[in-house]
Amino acid sequence: MYIQGLANFIDDFLGGLMLISYALVVGSVLWSFFILRVGTPAAAGDAVVTRSVKLLNIGAVSLAASVGTKLVIKGAVLAATLGELPLGPYANTVQFKAGLLRLILALGFIWVAKRLNQAPRDKRNWQIVALLTLPLVVSGAWLVHAVGRFEQRELLMITTVAHQLAAAVWFGCVAQLMVLWRTSRLNDEAKALWPLAITRFGLLGVSSVVLLLVTGLPLAWTYIGSWDGLFGTGYGSLVVTKVWLLLVALGFAFLNHRAGRLWRANAGDPTVTKKVPYYIEAETFILVGILFIAATLSSQPPSVDIPDRTAQVADVINMFKPRLPKIESPSHEALLAGEAGRVAVVDKVPSVAATEWSDYNHNVSGLFLTGMGLLAMLSYVRGLRWANYWPLGFVGLSLFLFFRSDAETWPLGPIGFWESTFGNGEVFQHRIATLLAFVLGVMELRARTHPEARKLQYVFPILCAFGGILLLTHAHAEFELKSEFLIQSTHTTMGLLAVIMAAGRWLELRLATNEGYVEGRFAGFIAISAMFLIGNFLMFYREPLY
Amino acid sequence: MIDKLLPATLRRLFLPLIACGLLLAPTAEVAAHAVVTESSLKHKPIEVNHETEVVLHFNSNVELGLSKVFLVSKGDIYHPLEIASGKKPGQVIIKVPALSEGDYAIKYKVFAADGHITEDVLRFKVSAQR
Ligand SMILES: [Cu+2]
Repeated sequence: MYIQGLANFIDDFLGGLMLISYALVVGSVLWSFFILRVGTPAAAGDAVVTRSVKLLNIGAVSLAASVGTKLVIKGAVLAATLGELPLGPYANTVQFKAGLLRLILALGFIWVAKRLNQAPRDKRNWQIVALLTLPLVVSGAWLVHAVGRFEQRELLMITTVAHQLAAAVWFGCVAQLMVLWRTSRLNDEAKALWPLAITRFGLLGVSSVVLLLVTGLPLAWTYIGSWDGLFGTGYGSLVVTKVWLLLVALGFAFLNHRAGRLWRANAGDPTVTKKVPYYIEAETFILVGILFIAATLSSQPPSVDIPDRTAQVADVINMFKPRLPKIESPSHEALLAGEAGRVAVVDKVPSVAATEWSDYNHNVSGLFLTGMGLLAMLSYVRGLRWANYWPLGFVGLSLFLFFRSDAETWPLGPIGFWESTFGNGEVFQHRIATLLAFVLGVMELRARTHPEARKLQYVFPILCAFGGILLLTHAHAEFELKSEFLIQSTHTTMGLLAVIMAAGRWLELRLATNEGYVEGRFAGFIAISAMFLIGNFLMFYREPLY
Repeated sequence: MIDKLLPATLRRLFLPLIACGLLLAPTAEVAAHAVVTESSLKHKPIEVNHETEVVLHFNSNVELGLSKVFLVSKGDIYHPLEIASGKKPGQVIIKVPALSEGDYAIKYKVFAADGHITEDVLRFKVSAQR
């Protein structure tokens, strides 16, 4: 059971990784042709081109690795689920064939990247790149929801592929911008190209956003179909989250675009070199989040297919409604007594104690985070230096989790510490989570109180981004009832906030230069507010009884 | 790209972090895509001591060779059932043996054409007709 859950999670995670790699490859190709103008006399210099080919190669390698691993993991999931692996039928699935094709194409890209590295100006090589890109994009059609559907199958497949392509152009080019910025520190030619690339990317960026919307709206319409479907299902709530993140990413894109225009209007405008590179990094965080949501979406049943398991908008609002947090826990015996009925397939009896136990855990964690959020906000007020000690809350939280996350183990339950830690996968995970919260608290405390610990500061946003992605890809279990969606809607929202928190804090750290930009402090405050909101949602959290 | 992005210490931390993240993975049951949009259990309840066929409509094409369906009876005892594809796309026919009165469930594990494996449970009651 544990292995199966893990395999499933890795499967979903690889889906996200696959999308990111695909976007790196396809985006890099378009970048080469439209921004670096390879194959024309006006092409960028060899140093710039080979650096961008390097990213293309990284994308291709990780595409090959993720597709290959996914094929194996999928087999493992099948074997674990069915108790056997029928190899013939598995190799015969559309998924397997399309995956294999992608693997071969990725290997092709790796090969041509090697040739490009030696001869970046050779037109023939670029023709091969263009030739490989077409089937790579098209093969995506057999790897999406649409392929299994009965109505408008082809139309949906084409629309989805166009949607993916647009996302790939955006993400891939933004990643390439980051590489160009790095190159420009050592290379004058890249330095000269940087503001130009920003302005050239404008057109490509705007068209990819337009294509995203033009294809995304009919897809959302077909798969969701109603307001309740949008707000009352896991699929819908992921789409809503995706739209929010998209708006944030668009905000960054707008800032960059404006900086490019300013630079053209009065050459030498510093924004394009002082702030834009960091905006682009933050934008990358957000786009990675979006791509992971996109991958998770493909493992959710579309809202239109589950009208009788959809929650009403009012139910969802109820999940987020402020109320008094539950600070009284049911007894340990009551919890254990209800377990048998709760997990039964036939004669399932919902356990009130289990729900209340979970509410208490969530609510108290929420109290911790809310308190930390408040303190952290105070730390932005001058003269309140003691408020910088807010990360200590994580240490407290980890102690709380240690005692509460597994009722049946030491110190509260009968099973011993070592026995439970290494004997049960779920307990092991919780122990790691607990340890991580503790370590996070200690590290962030040092980072906030010792400004010279520059590198340590980045651990926090990276872990936040990772935690956010976990929350977003972690669809809460079997969707027997609409209550599952209600739980998921709160967790998805918290995932969204965690990604925003990561991007905000990252930007704050990057902009904390000698000039001391206001934007940095602003971004930092947004990050803290996101943490405060997560705390609020947890504090008011009530699991629906089922 | 990662190595250009992150300072050296972080680079060393990165893989362990990823590993931790994977370990934090939830041990959820499979939640995926193929769901039953219509089932004959709803409008045609199973009669006591009668072999029957239950027809399920899925929202997606299903690979029968990679799918399994079980009858679960009281005490969570599993019994594999024979499945066949119906006339319409997405239709699966399940052969259910004669059952005595009581609570049962059909547990299905199916592989949808878009590559997602779904497990779900349909609970039903067999009772003597009035
Ligand atoms: Cu939770």
